[in-house]
Amino acid sequence: MLQIKADIIGKEEVMPGVFNLILVSPEISRNARPGQFVHVLCPTDDGFMLRRPFSIHRVVPGRAFEILFQVVGKGTEALSRVKIHDTLDIIGPLGTGFKYSEDIRSALLIAGGLGVAPLLFLAEELVERQVLFYPMLGYKTKTQMLRYIDFKRLGKKTYAATEDGSFGHEGTVADLLNRTVHNIRPEIIYACGPVGMLKKISETADEFGIECQVSLETKMACGIGVCLGCACVTRRGYKMACKDGPVFNTRDILWGAEDYEKGLANGCGCDNEALSETDSAG
Amino acid sequence: MSVNLSVNLSGIKMKNPVMPASGTFGAGREFSELIDINRLGALVAKTVTLKPRDGNIPPRLCEVSSGMLNSIGLQNEGIDHFLKHDFPFMREFDVPIIVNIAGNSLEEYAQLCRELDRVEGVSGIELNISCPNIKAGGIAFGASSKLAEQVTAAARYNTQLPLIVKLTPNVYNISKIARAVTSAGADVISLINTMVGMSIDTNTFKPNLGNITGGLSGPAIKPIAVRMVWEVAQSVKIPIIGIGGISNALDAVEFFLAGATAIAVGTANFINPTTMTDIISGLEAYLVEKGFTDISQIIGKVKT
Repeated sequence: MLQIKADIIGKEEVMPGVFNLILVSPEISRNARPGQFVHVLCPTDDGFMLRRPFSIHRVVPGRAFEILFQVVGKGTEALSRVKIHDTLDIIGPLGTGFKYSEDIRSALLIAGGLGVAPLLFLAEELVERQVLFYPMLGYKTKTQMLRYIDFKRLGKKTYAATEDGSFGHEGTVADLLNRTVHNIRPEIIYACGPVGMLKKISETADEFGIECQVSLETKMACGIGVCLGCACVTRRGYKMACKDGPVFNTRDILWGAEDYEKGLANGCGCDNEALSETDSAG
Repeated sequence: MSVNLSVNLSGIKMKNPVMPASGTFGAGREFSELIDINRLGALVAKTVTLKPRDGNIPPRLCEVSSGMLNSIGLQNEGIDHFLKHDFPFMREFDVPIIVNIAGNSLEEYAQLCRELDRVEGVSGIELNISCPNIKAGGIAFGASSKLAEQVTAAARYNTQLPLIVKLTPNVYNISKIARAVTSAGADVISLINTMVGMSIDTNTFKPNLGNITGGLSGPAIKPIAVRMVWEVAQSVKIPIIGIGGISNALDAVEFFLAGATAIAVGTANFINPTTMTDIISGLEAYLVEKGFTDISQIIGKVKT
C-alpha cells in the first residue's frame, strides 16, 4: 500500500450523479488486483472528514486507474466537483480482492447498479486470462444501464434485468439468476450490489453448489486494518472488510444474523459513503 | 537554530512528545508501510486484555459533525498473542513502547501488570479505565474516584514500570479522579478518552451503532480535552499526555500550553497517516518561529 497524490486526468459524468475519474498512478495500476479498493481523501472545506473507500473500477496498465462513484453524501459530492489536473490524496491498493484458481474456465459476474464498479476490473482480468464469463447486470431502468456496453463487449453472453422491464428481464438479477443458472452452470459466481441481492445470489449459488464471492460495502475509518471498525460477521468471527475483504466467500458470511444486517451500511444516515456505493436494482 | 523536543514522562524518555493514541495505530504494522515509525516519540499499542475479545456487533463506526463515533469494544487477541506476535514487531523500532491494558476486574489489571512487568522492552503501562464500549470494567473504573484509585493501586503494586492512567472525560470532576490515581501511584495521566455519544438514523429510526452508544472522537472533543488537561494540570504534579481531537501542530501546542508534557494523536491518523510526523515537524517550526529552543518552555504556559 502507498499514500500518493494522484493527478486526475479524466473525469466523466457517465449518467446523472454518477462519475468516473481517471487517476495517474503507475504503482497502483501495477499492483492492484480486481476487488481491491483505494481510500480517498475527499477535497472538502469541512474540518473533518474520513476518507471514502472506492473499488478500483479499471486500470490503464502501467499508468492509471479509475473509480466509479455515485454522489450520495458530502464526500462524494466534494469528489464530483474535482477538475482535470487536480490531485487527490489516495491510499491504496487496499484489501483482499476476488480470488480465482489457475484452471477456472467459466464465471458469472453479477452486478446490481453501482456494483459494476469492482466487476469491470475483474472482467478485464478474466479476458486476459482467457476465462469464459457471463455478465449479468441489474438496473432500475433502461436509461441507467451503467457499463452495459463494456461488459457486453468483454463477456461471452450478457444478461440484463431492469426493475421496470424497460430492457431485458423484468425484475431483479437475483430472479434472473434463478431462471438461468441451470443453463449457464458457471464454476464460480462473482457479485457486487445491494446486500439483499447478494444474499439471494448466495442462496442460489448454495443450492447449485457453485462457489460464490461477493464484494461487501461497509463504513470504514482507517481502511488499512487498524481501527477494526469495518467488522463483518462471518462463520470465522468478525472479519474486517478493509483487510480480510471487501471480497468474501459467501460460505463464510452469516447472512441470517440480524447482527450482520446491521453490520452493513445500507441506508445508514451518517453520511460516510460506502464501498462502491451500490444504490440500485437488486 | 535547532530546538529540543525531547521529554521525559516519569522515566519514559522520548525524543519528541508525539505518540499515537491507543487503538488508533494497532501495533504499528500497517502504518509502518506509510510512515517512518522511528520518528515518533513513542509507540502505544492497542488495548490488550487477558483473554481475547471479539469486540462489538457492527456497525461500529459512524461519522458525525467534526468527529466520529466508534464502538469497537476492545477487540483484541489477548495478552499472550500480543506478546508473541505484535510486541516483537514493535521492538524492531528505536522507540519506547507503551502497552495499554484493560481488565474486567482489579485482579485482571493486576495480573496484566504482573505479566508485563517481566517483559523486556516494555517502557510503560497505560491503564485503560475509560473505554465506554465494554460492559464490565473499562469506564466503570474511570468514572469513580474510589475505583480509579483501587485499580491504580492494584496495578502499582504489581509493576515497577512507569504507570500511565488514561482517564475518561465522562465525569463531572476530572481533577478529583486525577488526584485519586496520583495518590494511588500513577506516574503519568493521559486524557481524554472518548466522550459517550449516540447517533440515530432518521430513516430507519435505528441507532447508527450496533452497540447503540459509542465513543465520540475527533476535533469535536478537542476543546473539552484542552479544558480537562488544563484542570488536571492545576491539580496534580505528574506529567500529562494530552489527547483529544489533535490534527495538527497548533492543536498540539494548545495542549502543551494547557499543561501537557506530551500529546497523542488518535482519529486524525485515520484521515492522514502522516499526521504525527507532520506535527513533529510543525512543532519544531512553531518553536523556532516563536523564539523558543525547548518544548518545555511552552508547557503549562497558558496565560489565565
